[in-house]
Amino acid sequence: MNSQWKTIIPFVVISVFGASTKAIAHGVRMQARETQAIEVNAEYDNGEPMAEAQVTVYAPNDPATPWLEGTTDNNGNFVFAPDSSQSGNWSIQVRQAGHGSIVNIPVEGNQAQAGGNGTTEAESSVSGVANTRTNFTPLQTILMGATGVWGFIGTALFFMRGNKSNSELRRSESQR
Amino acid sequence: MPLQGIANLLENLCDEVLRVKLCKVYQEIAMRIHLLSLAGLIFLAPGIIIGCSPDQTPGEPQAQQQSQPQEAAGTLQVRANGEERAREGLVSKDGWRITFDNLYANLADVTAYQSEPAFDPEQGGEIQAQEKVVVLDEVQTVDLAQSGDGQDSVLVAEASNVPAGQYNALSWRMVPATEGPAQGQTMVMSGTAEKEGRTINFVLNIDREFEYVCGEYVGDERKGIVQVGDTADLEATFHLDHLFGDGETSADDPINQGALGFEPLATLAQNGNLQISTSQLQSQSPQTYQQLQEILPSIGHVGEGHCREANTQTVG
Repeated sequence: MNSQWKTIIPFVVISVFGASTKAIAHGVRMQARETQAIEVNAEYDNGEPMAEAQVTVYAPNDPATPWLEGTTDNNGNFVFAPDSSQSGNWSIQVRQAGHGSIVNIPVEGNQAQAGGNGTTEAESSVSGVANTRTNFTPLQTILMGATGVWGFIGTALFFMRGNKSNSELRRSESQR
Repeated sequence: MPLQGIANLLENLCDEVLRVKLCKVYQEIAMRIHLLSLAGLIFLAPGIIIGCSPDQTPGEPQAQQQSQPQEAAGTLQVRANGEERAREGLVSKDGWRITFDNLYANLADVTAYQSEPAFDPEQGGEIQAQEKVVVLDEVQTVDLAQSGDGQDSVLVAEASNVPAGQYNALSWRMVPATEGPAQGQTMVMSGTAEKEGRTINFVLNIDREFEYVCGEYVGDERKGIVQVGDTADLEATFHLDHLFGDGETSADDPINQGALGFEPLATLAQNGNLQISTSQLQSQSPQTYQQLQEILPSIGHVGEGHCREANTQTVG
């Protein structure tokens, strides 16, 4: 089964709250926030969409427990907004009638909460350089140590030789 | 070092030369040579250090990380499952009701991996193992037609004290058994097929070797997540509907389009009995043999997740 997965940004979620403490006829409150979302598209090998297929989303902090469950639409699409405070691989599994697949989407970023009317601005950052060389082999350590020592010794010898030559020079001049 | 030798020579000359001006010139040249040597050493050292580091290309498995004692945390089992088709029987695409007495599968070199990024058999490439655990390094025959220890699947092997984490890739080989009920065979399917009053007792012997390389298990629950002090399992799953088809789905369903069914085998039966090996099938029915050869690499799965058969590069 070939599945095509893609991330769409930004994705606007609109929440409609019809109930309020003081009931006003036809009163509607709306809140909107901009966030990141992941869109999944699942289809069979022959290109037929996996319509109304079972979707299970696993979050990085607890990969064994479903974080979200749902179904694809008639076109095999499923959209959800991951919790951006959970960095790592978000796994989305799609199954239908004995066929299934799972995909992992890395999400790394911090969501900056901006006050005022419930608006949240999502900021995403990609930390591409995750692992730098911090562990050295014994050979590397020995070479580094030897290089440092050699530098100190060489520098010291140079200045000692220079002083000796100058003093000997002065001595020879005075003898003349 | 030649530069150091030249510098020393110049300084010795300075000791022997009595003229002050010439001596100063020698000293300046010697000092520059010393500085040049020192600078060269400083610039060369990082290059030497980097050049001496071991190659760590992303695609290479780093199996040596697998058994650090401080990471040992749990137990990982690998189970084999022929699904209810193996245990309870199935209806082939051509209407044969098949029940299995035994369905022996001979597994070897069962290995689990923590792959980062996750391995996708459909995308090609290799498993990029952060951890690698050899769960079974010998040969084990299991009967997929029997339920094992109260579960639908049968235990193949388990490894204790494995590093915690998510084992999201699995590989295994299938080789002919050297002993036991499947001796000389990779798989043995024995049972009864019935259709419209006809009954055929069959034994199908398969001696071809396979190597399945699979991604993450896909099923009702997530498998392969080893937690501290706990036991997790992975599953080598065999999809018999790839071979016999599914009589409960339409004839134009992709699974039935590619399946062999049972009728081609039934035509080879004599007096209600069929015992045949792949080599005999090749001589008696080359077309059926060829179709079987094309199907068998695709029966290995991990739940509903897919595998790649390494010898044929077939993705099931």
